[in-house]
Amino acid sequence: MSMEYYSGLSADVTNSFGMLTESMRITFAAVMIMATIAIAIFMIGMYINLKKWSLGSEGYGLAPSNGSIFTFPKTLAYQMSAKGHGHGQGIIATLIDAAFQRRALRRSPGRWLMHLAIFGGWIALCIMSIGMFVVELIYLAGVHVLDPAVFREMLSLPNDIFSYILLVGIIIAIYRRLFVARARNSTIAFDSGLLIGLTIIVVTGFIADGIRNGTFWGLGMHSELAPPASLFHVVISLLFCIAYIPFSKYMHMIVGPLTLMANKGGE
Amino acid sequence: MKGEPSITVNNFTAVQLMELDACVRCGECVEWCPTYDAAGKPAGLAPRDKILRWSKYMNKSYGLRARLFGPKAIPEEEIEEFKNDVYGCTTCAMCATVCEMAINTVELWESMRSNLVKRGNGPYGKQGMFVKLIGEYKNPYMEDPKNRLNWIPDDVKIADKADIVYFGGCTAELKQTKLAFATARVLNKLGIEFAMLGEDEVCCCSALVRTGQYEIEDIARKAARQNVDGMVAKGAKTVVYACAGCFRASLVDWPRLLGEELPFKVMHITEFLEGLIKEGKLQWEKPFDNLTVTYHDPCHLGRHVGVFEPPRSVINAIPGLNLKEMDRIKAHQRCCGAGGGVKAGLPDLALKIAETRVQDALAKSPDILSSACPFCKRNLSDGRDSVGAKELVVEDIIVLTAEALGIRLDDCVEG
Repeated sequence: MSMEYYSGLSADVTNSFGMLTESMRITFAAVMIMATIAIAIFMIGMYINLKKWSLGSEGYGLAPSNGSIFTFPKTLAYQMSAKGHGHGQGIIATLIDAAFQRRALRRSPGRWLMHLAIFGGWIALCIMSIGMFVVELIYLAGVHVLDPAVFREMLSLPNDIFSYILLVGIIIAIYRRLFVARARNSTIAFDSGLLIGLTIIVVTGFIADGIRNGTFWGLGMHSELAPPASLFHVVISLLFCIAYIPFSKYMHMIVGPLTLMANKGGE
Repeated sequence: MKGEPSITVNNFTAVQLMELDACVRCGECVEWCPTYDAAGKPAGLAPRDKILRWSKYMNKSYGLRARLFGPKAIPEEEIEEFKNDVYGCTTCAMCATVCEMAINTVELWESMRSNLVKRGNGPYGKQGMFVKLIGEYKNPYMEDPKNRLNWIPDDVKIADKADIVYFGGCTAELKQTKLAFATARVLNKLGIEFAMLGEDEVCCCSALVRTGQYEIEDIARKAARQNVDGMVAKGAKTVVYACAGCFRASLVDWPRLLGEELPFKVMHITEFLEGLIKEGKLQWEKPFDNLTVTYHDPCHLGRHVGVFEPPRSVINAIPGLNLKEMDRIKAHQRCCGAGGGVKAGLPDLALKIAETRVQDALAKSPDILSSACPFCKRNLSDGRDSVGAKELVVEDIIVLTAEALGIRLDDCVEG
C-alpha cells in the first residue's frame, strides 16, 4: 500500500521536466525505511558513546569499570542522589534550567535568544513531524479518526510559526559566526557542521513547502518539483536531526540536560 | 593488529566522560578564566580548548573509528603540551560557574591531572615535591611535625579534649603563624574550649588532590584517616578551620578519599564567628578607625563550597570597618592565582594573576584587602608588593577580628 506522505501532490501530476517524479514521490514506506535507517544509525552512535562513557569509573577515585553500558546510568543516578556541598538545586529547577536554558540567559541574553529560538523551533517542528507521522500511521492502520490531510492543515500555521522562529535563531547564529569576532575566531568544523546542517534543513523545508503550496514567495516554481524537494528535505532532516546526533555537536541536546542533572544545576 | 590507546580513562567517572561531550564551545569560560587572561591568552590555556582536546583524545582512543580500525596514536609531544596547559590552572572554578552546560570543570581538570600523573606526564615542576614532603614530613614545608607546636604562646589554652577542634593547617602553624595566633586567642577570648591535633596533625593534602597526586602511595587517604581519627579521639563534634584550602579538603575531599561521611561538623572560622555574632557573644573592645576594607572571596571557600556571606557578616560586624566590595565578588570573584598548585609550579603566572586581583581591589581605594585563606593572603601580598601598592594592608579576617576584640598579636613572629 502506498500513500503520499504529506507531499501535497495528487497522483496524476505529470512531470514536464523529465524527472523521475513518480519514483521519487514520498511514500509512507519510503519515510519508514529512511526513519528506520536514521534511528538505527542514531542507536549505534549512542551505543558507541555509552560504551565510551561507561569506560569511566562509577565514582571518585574508583578503578575504571568493566565497560558495561550500565555503568553510565548507575553513575549518573548515584551522582544525582549524592550530597552536594554548598551548591545544588532541586530536580524541578534543574529541569526548568534545561528547558529554558537559564544558565545561558544569565551569561548572554542575545546568545540565549538565539539558542532558545533554535532549540524551541527545532523541538516543536520535530514533535509536529512525529505527530503527523503517527496520524498517518493510524490512518493507514484503518482507524479513520483523523484525516491526515485535515491534520496537516491544522499544523500548517504552527509549522510556519516555528519554522520562522527556527529561521530567526539560525540567522542570528550565522551572523554571530560571521561578524562577531569572538565567535568567528573560535569557530571550528565542530561548530559550523551543526549550523550548516540546520541551515540546509530549514532552507530545504521552506523550499519544499513553498513549491508544494505554489506560494514560494512568488517565484512560480513548478509544483512538479515538490516531491523530490520534499524527499530531499525529509532525507536531510532525518540524517542531520536523528542519525548525525551522536557523532556531532548535536549531541549536546542529550548530554546537556544530563550534565545539568548530574551536577544539580551546576555551580 | 590494533594498537593500544595513547591515553587511558583512569580517574574519570562515567559522568565526567559524558561531560566532555556536553561542551558547546560557547566560550564563556574563556572570557572569565584568570590564568588564560594573565598568561596573555594562549589558546591552550582556555578551558574550552582543554575539554575539546581531551574529548578528541577520547574519540581517537575509544570512539567509532578506534573501534573499527584501532586507536589513533596521539603524539607524545602533544600530550606533554596538554599536560602543561592543564596544570596552568588554579582550579578556581570560575569556568564551572559560568558554564552554560553546568560542566563540573574543576573535577575534570583534577581527573585529567590524576590521569596524567599515572601516565607519567604530571605533575608540573616543583609540584612533584609535594608527595615527598607530605609523605616524609607530613607537611609541605619540610618542617619537623613537632614544630607545629612552636607557635603556641604561653597564654593560649588548648584543651586535651573538647567538642570543638581547631584544625590549624600547615601554613598557619608553620609559616603564617599570626593566623593561628589570632584564631586560638579569639577562641580563648570568647570562652570557647577547643582542642588541636598538635604534632599528630597531618597536611590536609589539598595540594595533592588539586595536582592529581592524591593516589600516590595512598598518602592523601592515609592523611585524611589520621586526621579524622585524631579529631574523633579529641572528642570533636565540630572542627573549625581558618584555612580555606584545608576547609575545602575536609568538607569535600576527605569524605571521598575515605568513602564515608565525617563524624563531625566542618565549619570555617567565619561561619563559626557569624553564629556567635548573631548570638551577641562578641564584645568589640578596639574598633578600627573608620577604615575601608574590601574582601576577596577565596575560591575554596566561595565558589567551591558556597560560603559567601559569613566572612562579610564578620567584617560588617567589626566596628570601624567599612566594607566596600570589588566589582567581581562572590561567585564571579577573580581568583588570586595561588591555587591548584600554580603558586608552586608556575609562580610567575600566580603573581600575574595576583597583580590583576590587587588592581581590582585598588580600584576601590581600600585601606585593607582582606581574605579568609592564608594562600590568598600570601599571593595577594606578593601581588601588592609587585604593583608597588605599599600602603595597602593585606590581612586575614580572623586577624582583623582579633584586633577588634582587643587581642594583641604583636608577640607573634612568623616563620
